[in-house]
Amino acid sequence: MATEPGIWHARSRRRRPQAGADVGHFLRSLDYVLLAATTGLVAYGLWVIRAITGDDVAADPSYYFVRQSIYVGVGVAALVGATLVSPDLLRRYRHVLFGATLALMIVVFVLGSAVRGSRRWIDLGSFQFQPSEIGKLALIVFVAGFLAERAKRIDQAGTVLSAIGLAMVPVLLVFFEPDFGTALVYLAATVSVLFFAGVRFGHLASLGVAAAGLAVALLWGLPAAGIQVLRPYQIDRLVGFLDPDSDPSGSTYNITQSITAVGAGGLDGRGVAGATQTNLNYLPEHATDFVFASLAEQRGFLGASILLLLYALVVWRGIKVVAVAHSLFSASVAGAIVGAFLFQIFLNVGMTIGIAPITGIPLPFISYGGSSMITSLAMIGMLQAIHARGRLAGNR
Amino acid sequence: MSARLSNRRIRLLVAVFGLLFAATLARAAWLQAVRAPGLDRIAASQQRETVTVPARRGTIYDRQGVELAVGEDATTVYANPRQVRDPRGVSAVVARDLGLDPDVVYGALSDRSRGFVYVARKVDPKAAKRLAARGIGGLGFLPEERRVYPQGRIAAAVLGYVGTDNEGLAGIELEYEEQLAGRPGEETVVRDPFGRLLDVAAASPARQGRDLTLTIDHRLQAHVEDVLRRTRAAWSAKAATAIVLDIRTGAALAMAVAPGFNANRFPDLPSGRVRNRAITDVFEPGSTFKVVTVAAVLDDRIVQPGSSFSLAPEIQVADRVIHELEDRETERLTVSEILVRSSNIGAITLALALGEDRLAWWIERFGLGQPTGIDFPGEASGIVLPRERWTGATIGNVPLGQGIAVTPIQLASIYAAIANGGTWVEPHLVERVEGGTRFEPEKRQLVVRRTARQLTRMMAGVVSEGTGTQAQVPGYTVAGKTGTAAKPDASGGYSDSRYVASFVGFAPASAPRIAILVLVDEPKSGILGGTVAAPAFAEIAGFALRYLDVPPDALLADDAAGG
Repeated sequence: MATEPGIWHARSRRRRPQAGADVGHFLRSLDYVLLAATTGLVAYGLWVIRAITGDDVAADPSYYFVRQSIYVGVGVAALVGATLVSPDLLRRYRHVLFGATLALMIVVFVLGSAVRGSRRWIDLGSFQFQPSEIGKLALIVFVAGFLAERAKRIDQAGTVLSAIGLAMVPVLLVFFEPDFGTALVYLAATVSVLFFAGVRFGHLASLGVAAAGLAVALLWGLPAAGIQVLRPYQIDRLVGFLDPDSDPSGSTYNITQSITAVGAGGLDGRGVAGATQTNLNYLPEHATDFVFASLAEQRGFLGASILLLLYALVVWRGIKVVAVAHSLFSASVAGAIVGAFLFQIFLNVGMTIGIAPITGIPLPFISYGGSSMITSLAMIGMLQAIHARGRLAGNR
Repeated sequence: MSARLSNRRIRLLVAVFGLLFAATLARAAWLQAVRAPGLDRIAASQQRETVTVPARRGTIYDRQGVELAVGEDATTVYANPRQVRDPRGVSAVVARDLGLDPDVVYGALSDRSRGFVYVARKVDPKAAKRLAARGIGGLGFLPEERRVYPQGRIAAAVLGYVGTDNEGLAGIELEYEEQLAGRPGEETVVRDPFGRLLDVAAASPARQGRDLTLTIDHRLQAHVEDVLRRTRAAWSAKAATAIVLDIRTGAALAMAVAPGFNANRFPDLPSGRVRNRAITDVFEPGSTFKVVTVAAVLDDRIVQPGSSFSLAPEIQVADRVIHELEDRETERLTVSEILVRSSNIGAITLALALGEDRLAWWIERFGLGQPTGIDFPGEASGIVLPRERWTGATIGNVPLGQGIAVTPIQLASIYAAIANGGTWVEPHLVERVEGGTRFEPEKRQLVVRRTARQLTRMMAGVVSEGTGTQAQVPGYTVAGKTGTAAKPDASGGYSDSRYVASFVGFAPASAPRIAILVLVDEPKSGILGGTVAAPAFAEIAGFALRYLDVPPDALLADDAAGG
């Protein structure tokens, strides 16, 4: 009891005169290249959304643009907030965070509004909230914290299996919403945490083999045996990209139209008015899942390349954040965030150009949708927080 | 974990990232540079579509302006089975709304190998509208025109019928296809993936079909058909044909065949029942042909109507012996009497006086063996033995109307020519095409006016005192000729049970207006043209003369008896 006020006093006394210097120091330790790249992505995304949704709501060409701008506003607040919150604080309260998120997801599962057969959303007046997006962050923080606490036993298979077991709870919840794409993102994030927390390559390899076996079982083995875990339409979409011409008016309609849109864009695009695939609704979900195809149709290879380069910049800076992280926990979280981004970007873009299965994952910063935008910006905020503390701790 | 390990893992992540980035960029370049032209074409073609805008088919009117064939609005329902989500459920709804068999509809809708199937052609637009209001995905609606014949069976054989795509397949519908059909227009339209029309990019308008006015009078036609139906039933005949011609214009006022058909019921009609026998079928005319023989000898001034001949009851021509139909002794008959009593020996005697060459010449001059040119598809030419193939026996049967085949329209038009002072007028069925001028028939002088007058007087005798007394019409003088012809056998000879009974004539004899042919094919309970066909002729002529307001030229029977 005697030392506590002293410590408190000592801290406060030390901080007060240095408060201005601390803020300045903190601000200087942010990654402004990452911030600039993110700003560029968000601005580019707003420009893209405005151009491809101009015809979607007849009375109001700015309908989606205005809403997406509001989401960006909220997302920027989330970014600032996440930057200010110390990763260590998240680590300490990770159980609460994780528990609350699971509870929300269960609420969604029970009460959520069904859109096209899946329950992912909670209605908040005129907006809908998708807890599984924010759940990504909670999952990453929780598993990273779990492993960081057991850093000494990271080599043991038991530790790895426990981490995976815990992660599977939200994964399965999302999977049965059903939101197969987000479940995959969760898995990718979990694997990323394991990877950067230092799980042995041998264990990771075994996991890979097990995952491959599970995939084969889900897609071919179990359906052949009459057990359906994945619905037939999900399987059709997953394997459809291997042979887009197999059912162009049915299960491979989306992929066929998407490839057509991308190709029709050519090098410099068909322009906003000439993008018939987008404007005439031949391309489904052109503001969300297939936004890349719409962009490629309107702006061509040039426009698509600009987006990919912006992503490359964000990922590159993200990887640098992993390197400067001041703790194993922070490095795992940063690595998982980068891994999740990588996974989402390339699975989404890959699906629109026919080299990845159709899974319905939004394209970060570009796809229309508040939950995705806010979560993506919050993740950038977390990267900034980790970067800043790593720099302050002397890691360069 | 050591920093070194950590760096190794970061480098691995960088490598994975680089690989994904390169693959994505390469794939995008492949699609947008190499495959761009082809995919651009696909993108353009899938939303642009050229659709034909059907032209309205012309209406067919009778000479009074009554509609005989009209286009009625109808809706065709089609579907893209690949866009139909629940074929079973949709089939049930569609079948209920349109009154179809659900299994048949399901058969069409469940065929996902096709992008276009007809669900139902030309259904009631109201029912289709009700179905369209349900907004079922994958169904499409197309306005079409359905051909309807408001008068049902009336003049069906003349009108013909159209196919499912409104193309003329028979009759006037086929003959005047070009005028009736018009020319369909074209529209290039832009559609969204649900088939909804977004824009019309280019259009060339349709040229509507032209209306036709027929020479047929629907009331007279109805009466003629009624008479034929009763005649055919009374004599249990296989078929019956009748033609009413306006002798001055060549207009066919009525043209009927029995049994008939209802054109609205096409295509469920037995084939063979839909021919217009008056134009497409040939028959051996028998005695009605003797008029041609007599006309020839009169016009060539070989004989006068009063010239008389001593006629034995039989005559040998080459290897054949020809008898009279009735038993009689050798007697003297005038040319007039030969026709009135329909003497075979007399006709052959006259033909022998005329000579084979002249007879053959006259047959050609009367237009036999050639189509009349009537505006109807599939007109038969008749069968005339070429002069160089005549044998010695030919002159023994052709003058009697055997060994020669004619169409009803040929024979009717020849009688009309005699009634018309010897001037043959091309028979026709269409009076006027909308936007065109009245039809101008071709005319030919067959015999001189004097010959026509002489023949008329003789044929009036046929009706007043000869074989055709049953063709008399109260109040009018009638000229005509009976015909009773055994039908040729498969063996090459003549049947002794199958006959064609006919009566061809015109009225009033003093100032002819109409020529009428009645032909009864294979009557069972009688065979003579004078008893089977003549009464039908009388009934038709009586109605037609009064209907056309032709003034009577004779005292009524009661008055005649009184005076």
